[in-house]
Amino acid sequence: MNDNPYLRHAFRRAALRTVVNAGIVFFALAPIAWGVLSSLKPTNQILEVPPRFIPQDVTLEHYERVIGDKGLLFLGNSALISAITIVCALAIGSIAAYAIARYEFPGRKVLMVFTIGVMSIPIASLLIPTFTLLSVVGLINTHVGLILLYTAYQLPIVIWMLYGYFLSLPVEVEHAARIDGYTALGTLRRVVLPLSKPALVAAALFVLVFAWNDFVVAVTMTSSESVRTFPVAVYFYLGFYGREWGPLLAAAVISIIPIILIFIVLQRYFISGLTGGGVKG
Amino acid sequence: MSTVTFRNVSKRYGAITALDDLDLEIGDGEFVSLLGPSGSGKSTTLNLLAGLISANSGTIHIGEREITHLPPEQRDLAMVFQNYALYPHMTVAENIAFPLEARKPRPDKDVISRSVERVAETLSIGNLLARYPKEISGGQQQRVALGRAMVRDPRVFLLDEPLSNLDARLRVRMRRDLKELHRQLGSTIVYVTHDQSEAMTLSDRVAVFAQGRLQQVAPPREIYDNPVNTFVANFVGDRETNFLDGVLEGDDYLTFHSGPVALKLGKRQLKNARQKVTLGVRPEAVAIASSATDGMRAEVILTELAGAELFVYLRLASGDEIGMRCDPREVSVATGETVNVRFDPRQIHLFDQESGQTLA
Ligand SMILES: Nc1ncnc2c1ncn2[C@@H]1O[C@H](COP(=O)(O)OP(=O)(O)O)[C@@H](O)[C@H]1O
Ligand SMILES: [Mg+2]
Repeated sequence: MNDNPYLRHAFRRAALRTVVNAGIVFFALAPIAWGVLSSLKPTNQILEVPPRFIPQDVTLEHYERVIGDKGLLFLGNSALISAITIVCALAIGSIAAYAIARYEFPGRKVLMVFTIGVMSIPIASLLIPTFTLLSVVGLINTHVGLILLYTAYQLPIVIWMLYGYFLSLPVEVEHAARIDGYTALGTLRRVVLPLSKPALVAAALFVLVFAWNDFVVAVTMTSSESVRTFPVAVYFYLGFYGREWGPLLAAAVISIIPIILIFIVLQRYFISGLTGGGVKG
Repeated sequence: MSTVTFRNVSKRYGAITALDDLDLEIGDGEFVSLLGPSGSGKSTTLNLLAGLISANSGTIHIGEREITHLPPEQRDLAMVFQNYALYPHMTVAENIAFPLEARKPRPDKDVISRSVERVAETLSIGNLLARYPKEISGGQQQRVALGRAMVRDPRVFLLDEPLSNLDARLRVRMRRDLKELHRQLGSTIVYVTHDQSEAMTLSDRVAVFAQGRLQQVAPPREIYDNPVNTFVANFVGDRETNFLDGVLEGDDYLTFHSGPVALKLGKRQLKNARQKVTLGVRPEAVAIASSATDGMRAEVILTELAGAELFVYLRLASGDEIGMRCDPREVSVATGETVNVRFDPRQIHLFDQESGQTLA
């Protein structure tokens, strides 16, 4: 090693950073790795003492069980509801955010403060009133009901994220589009949204994570199998007669995989969308 | 007919009056510059015409059609922005095609691409069509912005300081191109600039703005020769106009007095003869007198030689400092020297000392 004190210092810092990061990665990933590996163990080896990290025998029986228990139907429900929620939240959210960002109207500031304010209301406190509301309008236990609720819950954050991004875009480009013959909506569609891809992707991922993982709302608002979402289905393995660890872990793994894949594919946009940053004109 | 008419148009932002009671008529095919310092209301005027902002009062017409309350997309104008405002996510070709795609019914693909190529040809940017705006230079972006405006054969062209982001040489070259473009297109052009030489060289008429008010609108020569007030006199011209405060004496044959300085103005008819006046004379109308009896004594305090011209700062006996612009091949003076200077009597402007309005 070099004797230069500065280099030695830099080396120590780098070493320390590596150790700390490795620690964080370990604590974050170890339970997941444990879950994935355990989901491949036969039932009688899952709770083995002493625990074995690497499975002795590998089996897919738990996965087969989850699929066999209409797992694909529940996954499909979750995917459908998530996808439509994303489309609705982004469509409504982008128009709302654009109006707040670019139009002068009375109450504009109040509206934005209100939008940010409602984000702090805990969903649990809304469950009973929304349950009553959905029952009255006949949307309890339906896909549409869940989509409406998810959209409503996620709109504020979508509006907030897009609003900030729209403000960072050069307004002359939108003026140019108006003069070139496009209506306000045409300008939003042809110019503003294409320039806002990072923010749209970031907002979509937020909505996706919420809609895909939600348990509380779905379990309250739905009862029949035909509308059951995957997180609710997972819950059924925590049955009256004890925990079915194998299928439970397999279901958990199945439910994270699509999210991880989507994040990996879109991470380029996701990161730049979160850190803001505009488009140069 | 693509005349543009502003009638009593005002625009206020809270307590600020950005544009105050504008009356302006722009003829069909005319090239009119809106000239004025920053914040004088030029862009406000242009944006009102474009429909990007709405007026508090007054009406705007294009031809016979009132457009005061129409949204921008229904006004059939084209605009070139100071920062070009190209669509960053589209290629040059897509940028130029964009206004055509907004038409209903939308023209065929090959009709659009033929128009794009024709325009690109005119502006010699045919080789850039596949590039994105960030991949081309400022001057080229400027041309693309012009192309996007030209492609639709608009009734009226609006340009807001389109050259001010270019370097000096390119700016002068683009001036010529713009003038040539206007000759070819023959469309009405409203051109915003704070650069008086741009306005003077390009326009059929110049509209001078200050503090939200239109001061004067006239052909460049007229603006230069007969400014209506001290502001216009000073703003138009390469160098600042010299102003001397003094009093007028005499009935027909007028004399201007300012302290020890006396200046015979000869026979002049004044609209409203005032005692206290401001005399304005451009540096280029100041010259070294041929004989000692003819001029005023002045001391040379500084000289600037700038290539083809010599600029001399002088102090008159009254203490006023004035500038003189002359040909370095004809005049050579040294700092500290005393010279005799005279003002070209045809280029002396008289203004009311209080209001600054012309007395001619
Ligand atoms: N959106 C706005 N809000 C408040 N004041 C404005 C706004 N736009 C322009 N102004 C004011 O109006 C006046 C005229 O502005 P503008 O027309 O842009 O001047 P310029 O001649 O430089 O183009 C200025 O005093 C400016 O500060
Ligand atoms: Mg301006």
